[in-house]
Amino acid sequence: MSARVRGSFTQIWRWPTVLALLIVFGLLSALLGGGGPWWLLSWIALSMPLAVILICIRRRRLA
Amino acid sequence: MTRSSFRKWFWLHKWTSLVCTAFLLLICVTGLPLVFRDEIGNLLDDSLPYASVPAGTPVISLDRIAGKAREMYPGEQLMSTFTDDDEPKIVAFMVPSWQALAANRKSIHWIKFDAHTGDVLKHSEPFDADGKSFLQWMLGLHRDLFAGLAGELFLGTMALLFVLALVSGAVVYGPFMRKMDFGTVRADRSPRLKWLDLHNLLGVVTIGWTLVVGTTGIINELSTPLFGLWQATDVKAMLDPMRGKPIPALVEQTSVQAAFETAKGALPDMEMQSIAFPGSPFGSPYHYLIWGKGKEPLTSRLFSPVLIDARTGELTSIVNMPWYLRALEVSRPLHFGDYGGMPLKIIWALLDLVTIAVLGSGLYLFLSRRSSSMPEQEAELGASYAASPARLPAGAAE
Repeated sequence: MSARVRGSFTQIWRWPTVLALLIVFGLLSALLGGGGPWWLLSWIALSMPLAVILICIRRRRLA
Repeated sequence: MTRSSFRKWFWLHKWTSLVCTAFLLLICVTGLPLVFRDEIGNLLDDSLPYASVPAGTPVISLDRIAGKAREMYPGEQLMSTFTDDDEPKIVAFMVPSWQALAANRKSIHWIKFDAHTGDVLKHSEPFDADGKSFLQWMLGLHRDLFAGLAGELFLGTMALLFVLALVSGAVVYGPFMRKMDFGTVRADRSPRLKWLDLHNLLGVVTIGWTLVVGTTGIINELSTPLFGLWQATDVKAMLDPMRGKPIPALVEQTSVQAAFETAKGALPDMEMQSIAFPGSPFGSPYHYLIWGKGKEPLTSRLFSPVLIDARTGELTSIVNMPWYLRALEVSRPLHFGDYGGMPLKIIWALLDLVTIAVLGSGLYLFLSRRSSSMPEQEAELGASYAASPARLPAGAAE
């Protein structure tokens, strides 16, 4: 599967693309959703990049 | 990507970043308290507290507020009122006289009323007597460096360079990551390599947010002059026929509350916020000029001025924003992060801190570069393509 080949465009950009889509979703769901569950979804989606940063830095410490 | 195109993109990333970094750091640092401007503003506010009233208590009539303001400062002119949309307050702005206002814009002072009881919560010195508040300092440094339009256009240009740095940074991210798994941080080697990896990681996972906030930052800086242009054209065209006409005596003026209700009825999807009273240089000699704004986060920066004849109470005209201004204004809330409760504000602040780390690490990578000649740089770059992850040279970021 090409996505697994290290150095391929898909492999390099898979995670950044997922996170960028989550950010766009989070920004719009808070703006257009009008509160309630849409706010909650927005908070979860926009926390994902921060969570990924923490996981990567932690993984470095463990390694 | 060919080596020469990589070098071009890298050159673009380096120089767009270098030019804007100092200003972007200032913008990020001052932006941090601005995310919480409502909370900080309330904390630093030394007004009397709002009266606690049962839910559903009606808001006091604007006629009562106008009467109280005029009683407190007999002989002065009531210039405008502002009715807040999320706090129970009505602020009345006064001037000693229209002539005094024409001579000195800073002769304006204000009285803050409780919107339910009409009690005075605070009144200000004239504007030139009170110093700038903490938040005004932050906003000034964030928006225009206290230099008005020139400052807005300058910081707008810095924001444009920042967006270019983000795009070029994303382009050169690919080649750097060819031999590495996503999120690798090589902490066991040189500090420079560790910070290169952190710069890449922090930058790429937040790029969706930084692109949106950067782009809406440019839009914000453009919307002020465009809003001014609209006021100088369409709004002025609405007001021009009245200019120089006599101001009706106070006893001949109809109820301001009734005018407020008429405007509300004409624009049911909007909230009426501020009213310029007859005679105000920002309004008309014989109209109430009432500004409505959208109720939803998306429309919160769409404004419509309504003219109500203060002699008859009749609606005279409504002006809508032109399309280009509407397009800009609907995207502006995305810059502020204040439309999704406190958790969104906290996330906004954390993402802002991440951006500061990206800017700081970028600056460190530039300052700690080895002073290498061009051929050496080429060799390093070539090595970064060929090397195994463990052997990636630190100088590859050069």
